[in-house]
Amino acid sequence: MIKIENVNKYFYKGEDRELHALKNINLSIEKGEYSIEKGEYSLLTGPSGCGKTTLLNVIGALDSFDSGKIYFEDRELGALSEDEKTTIRLNEIGFVFQAYNLVPVLNVEENIGFIMRLRGFPDSEIRERVKEVAAILEIDTKLRSLPSTLSGGQQQRVAVARAVAAKPKIILADEPTANLDSKNSKALMDMMRSLNVTENISIVFASHDKDVLESVDRVIKLNDGEIIES
Amino acid sequence: MYKLILKLAFDNAFLRLSRTMLVIIMIAVSMSMMLSIQGLYDGMTLSMIEKTKRSDSGEISIYAKGYRLSKTITNSIKNVSKIKKVLEAKPEIDALAIRIKADGLSATARKSSFSTMIGIDLKEEEHFGTFSEFLKEGEVTFSKRGVLLGSELAKTLKVKIGSKVIFSAQDSDGEINAMALKVRGIMQTSNISLDASAMYIDKKVLQEFLGIPKDAAMQIAIRTKSKTLENSLVAEYRTLEVKSFLSLYPIIKQMEDMMVIFNSITFFIVMLVVFIGIMGVMYVSILDRIREFGIMRSIGLSYKLIRLQIFLEALFLGLSGYIIGAILGYAALSYLKHVGLDLSAFADGMESYGMSKVIYGDIKLSYFTSTLLAIIGASLLSVLPPLRKIKTMNTIEVTKVET
Repeated sequence: MIKIENVNKYFYKGEDRELHALKNINLSIEKGEYSIEKGEYSLLTGPSGCGKTTLLNVIGALDSFDSGKIYFEDRELGALSEDEKTTIRLNEIGFVFQAYNLVPVLNVEENIGFIMRLRGFPDSEIRERVKEVAAILEIDTKLRSLPSTLSGGQQQRVAVARAVAAKPKIILADEPTANLDSKNSKALMDMMRSLNVTENISIVFASHDKDVLESVDRVIKLNDGEIIES
Repeated sequence: MYKLILKLAFDNAFLRLSRTMLVIIMIAVSMSMMLSIQGLYDGMTLSMIEKTKRSDSGEISIYAKGYRLSKTITNSIKNVSKIKKVLEAKPEIDALAIRIKADGLSATARKSSFSTMIGIDLKEEEHFGTFSEFLKEGEVTFSKRGVLLGSELAKTLKVKIGSKVIFSAQDSDGEINAMALKVRGIMQTSNISLDASAMYIDKKVLQEFLGIPKDAAMQIAIRTKSKTLENSLVAEYRTLEVKSFLSLYPIIKQMEDMMVIFNSITFFIVMLVVFIGIMGVMYVSILDRIREFGIMRSIGLSYKLIRLQIFLEALFLGLSGYIIGAILGYAALSYLKHVGLDLSAFADGMESYGMSKVIYGDIKLSYFTSTLLAIIGASLLSVLPPLRKIKTMNTIEVTKVET
C-alpha cells in the first residue's frame, strides 16, 4: 500500500545547523504483509528526535522530503500538488494526534462524523456509522457532549473514532497515548487493536510507549533518522 | 458539507462572545451614526431645495427672453392668461404661480435698501408652495395696503409688524413712482436672495402701480414631477426662456454635490472602522485557532473550505452589526425625520445660509442597501490578511505539541 524508496529529508538545508532528519529510508507498509487477515499494525519507535514523527508526517503526505520516492498505492507523493495530497489525506488516511485536536465547537457526534461529512457521505450513513464506531470505543453515551466536557481518555477515543469512521486505508497515530494515564493508554490500545481486526484498517503508530510496543505486530526502530530494525 | 462549514463559521463567530459583541456594537453604533449624518445632510439639502422651489422657481420657470439679464418691467411675458390656460390643461403640471416683479428701493424714515417687489396671488401661492408656512411674524394678508417683507430685509430696514415702508420704482412710462405700505407679515423662506430683498404685495396693486397690462407677468413658475416637461416647454415656447430649477440655482447643485462628498467621506471612514474592527477580531481569532486550522488541513479540509468558513465568520460579524446598526439608524432617522434636530442656538448663522432652525432628516432605501453592500465588501476584504496567515502556515509546526 505504501512503499518508501531511499527517502532523505533535511531540516534547515544549506544552513550551518542543517539536520539530516531521514536517511535513506526504505520501507514497505502492505496490507496483510504481517498478517493475512487484517491490516498492518506497526510501530515506529526510537528515542526522542530519531525521526519517527517526521517519517509519519512524510508517509501521511503532511510533510515534504528532499530525495527518494514514496508511493501511496500507485501514486508518487512527491509528484502530487498540495490539493491532491489534501484529497489523499481526506479520503485515504486517518490521523490521530497526541493532543486529540478535536474541533471545540462541534459535539462528539459532529466531530466523529466530521471527515465523513467532508467526504459527502449521506446523513443517514453518517449517523449509523458514528453510532457504530462510538459504541466500539465506548463513547456512545457522550455523543451530544462538547469536547471540553470530556476527559483526556474520552477525547482521544473521539479522535480515534473520527479517524476510523470514514474507513480510511491507513491510520497514522502520533503518540496517541502520550497524554493518557496507563489505564486509559491500555484501554485505547485495546480498542485500536479491535478496530484493526474488525475494521481491517492498517495502523502505524509513532511512539515510545511500552503499552504500544507490546501490542503491535511489527516494530520499526529508528535512530538518528535511520531505520536500524524493521 | 456546506451545512457543516456554516455551523463551524457561526459557532466560531460567537465563540468569544464578549469580543464578538464588542465589534458588533462598534459596527452598529458607527453605522447608525453614519446613517443619521447621511439622513441629516440629505434632509438639509432637500429642505433647501424644496423651500427654494416652493418660494420661487418651482421645478421649471418661464421668463420673457432677456428678463434675467435686464430685469426691467418691459421685459415681461405677454398673453399670460392664454399661456396659463394651455399650461393648466397639462396633466403633468401640479401647480402654477404667475408673478410680477419690479426692482426698486424700499425705505423707512431712517433706513433704505434695494428690494424686489413681487406681486403675487396669495391663493395661487398657497397652492403652489404653501406660502403661509414661510410666515415668521404677523399674518399673511395684503389688506389695507399691506406688504409682506423678507426676514433679512425687515432686519435691514429695522421694521416691525405695523411699520410703514415706502417703495419706489420706475413705472412703464419711465416715471419714478412711490407707494406707502404697511408691514403685515415677515416671511422667512430660507431662500437667501428672497429673504434679503423680497416685498410681497397683491398682484393687482403692483400691476396698477407699475402701469403694466393685466395680461403681463415676469415669471411663470411651475411645479411638476415630470422629467420631460422642461424639454417639451422649451420646444413649445421658443420665444420665451424656459429654465429648470438647477439652471436657475446652480449653487444648490454645488451644495448637493458637496453633501454627496461629505456623505462619501463619512461612509468611507465608517467602512474603514468596520474593516479594521472585523480584521482585528478575525486576526486574533485565527491566531487563537491556528492549531485547529492546522489539524483541519492535516485531516483533509481543503484551503478553499477553510477560506469559506472564515469568510462566513466575518460575514456573520458584519451582518450582525449591520442588522443592529440598521435598526438603530432607522430609529434615529425616523426621529430626525419627524421631530428634527433643533439648532435654534445656531439659527441666526444658519438662516443666513438659507437653512432652517430645525433640520429634518431624510430616509432613503439606498442608505441601507449601499451600507449593506459596503459592509459585505468590508467584511470579506478584512479577512484577506488573516487568511494569508492560514495559507502560509506550516501545518506540522502549528499542530506540534509543546513539551
